[in-house]
Amino acid sequence: MTELAIQAQGLTRTFGAVRALDDLTVEVPAGSVFGFLGPNGAGKTTTIRLLLGLIEPTSGSAKVLGFDTRTQGDEIRARSGALLEHSGLYERLSAEDNLRFYGRVAHMPKAQLEQRIQELLTHLGLWDRRKDAVVKWSRGMKQKLAIARPLLHRPGLVFLDEPTAGLDPVAAASLRDDLAALASRQGATIFLTTHNMAEAEKLCNLVAVIRQGKLLAVGSPADLRSRGGGQRTEISGRGFSDTMLAALRQQADVSQASVENGRLMLVLKDGASAAPVVSLIVREGGEVQEVRSGQGSLEDVFLTLMDEEHKS
Amino acid sequence: MNADFITVLWKEWKEIVLERSASGAGSYRPLILVAVLGIFVPFKMPPERFFSAAQLLLPTFLSAFVITAVIADSFAGERERHTLETLLASRLSDRSILFGKIAASMAYGWLMSIACIVAGTITVNVVNWHGEILIYHDAASWLIIALGPPLMGGLIATVGVLVSLHAATVRQAQQTLAVGFMVVMFGIIFGSTMLPAEWRIWFGKILFTWSQANLALAAASVILAIDLALLGAVMARFQRARLVLD
Repeated sequence: MTELAIQAQGLTRTFGAVRALDDLTVEVPAGSVFGFLGPNGAGKTTTIRLLLGLIEPTSGSAKVLGFDTRTQGDEIRARSGALLEHSGLYERLSAEDNLRFYGRVAHMPKAQLEQRIQELLTHLGLWDRRKDAVVKWSRGMKQKLAIARPLLHRPGLVFLDEPTAGLDPVAAASLRDDLAALASRQGATIFLTTHNMAEAEKLCNLVAVIRQGKLLAVGSPADLRSRGGGQRTEISGRGFSDTMLAALRQQADVSQASVENGRLMLVLKDGASAAPVVSLIVREGGEVQEVRSGQGSLEDVFLTLMDEEHKS
Repeated sequence: MNADFITVLWKEWKEIVLERSASGAGSYRPLILVAVLGIFVPFKMPPERFFSAAQLLLPTFLSAFVITAVIADSFAGERERHTLETLLASRLSDRSILFGKIAASMAYGWLMSIACIVAGTITVNVVNWHGEILIYHDAASWLIIALGPPLMGGLIATVGVLVSLHAATVRQAQQTLAVGFMVVMFGIIFGSTMLPAEWRIWFGKILFTWSQANLALAAASVILAIDLALLGAVMARFQRARLVLD
């Protein structure tokens, strides 16, 4: 049986009339990188706060690393690391002192702490600037340091709440590489919230999609892609009229049809061929220059799930 | 608990010192205070007046005033700079965080008052040097030096925590505390004249019949009782789940 790092059963939290988390039941195997995906206000941060034992659930229960979140929050926090919504760095202090403080909080022996600080800062390319006050650093450097902080004491579980939010694409990609390397080297369970699908696809071996506090889907990225995305077909050409779109939407194998940036974007049912669709376009007076077909990305699945939930 | 308390104290102390040694006018503020109250004022003062117990109220109140700025930065600042939730998500207990922060603020206030007293003592000795060292000679003075700054500091620190937890920003907390401090001080000074005549006679008798040491001990006992009551209120308010949702 797989050992579980997190086991939530019917976890619910309300704030007045608002149901921030609604009957969440989820299991996160130890050693996995778990992506918790959802738009802003979906309940991701509330879930992390509940799992860390910072707030109590209105109903339901959760066990984290084998400890009850209601009664053993101290044990959970002692064995986990967390990068929450904000970096949580003390900007007047140096990078070294920020890590030294949290290392002391984790009761790390001094020699081990100093060695670990050097290891992490060197790996992240921050060692030469270790004595600078963090306030003088760029946003990307601060975020790297913020990620190093919860990994410092090699916890069994790390919560990362949107770790690349607000970074430029280059800094975000570099941070993702660092995170993947650190995670694989350390072998910890990572609970990652994000609304960046590419990030989730690259880092996670298990993802869950949440909206308005409700869990919509859970599985590996490949599972979700095959389950809900359908087959994406992109057709370049000319003469894509509204009549043609209406005709396409009436086809049994076509789930969605739209024109984006002059291209015809279709979602075909799994296993359906694009050939009859192309014939129909030509019959309706369209000109086809290029046809590209492929499995939908995690982002497509995510958007489909959001759309379905919105309609329901 | 002890190790965690020391860890928080260490972090807070570093932040206090670094904030005040950062570039800008702020870095000279502690030195200016010590220069005015520890050198300029004693320089113009006769030794018998400087070494009186009543004169020690000045560094005692200085310590309290310094704490209003530091404590607001420590609590309201932690929330304003978005570092509080990360701190609460650590293994530190609520009490280690609370006591570590209060202790660091009080230590800074105490250090400032002691710096003024030491600088003043040196200044008075240099100005009035006749071959022997002048120093505080009565029990009341030593009681005030030992108990005044920590007890007054504790009072201001606990009030400061309560105000800071309700304030939206550091500036708002500092302004509320500074104004409140002034109101209380002026209230004590001018309010005494509004007391009923019998009360004033009763207080007068105490002031003239009790020794200064007994007066200092009585005042210390009253302030200690207030400190403990406020500490209880602060401990009840400083709860992790509540702070996260704030």
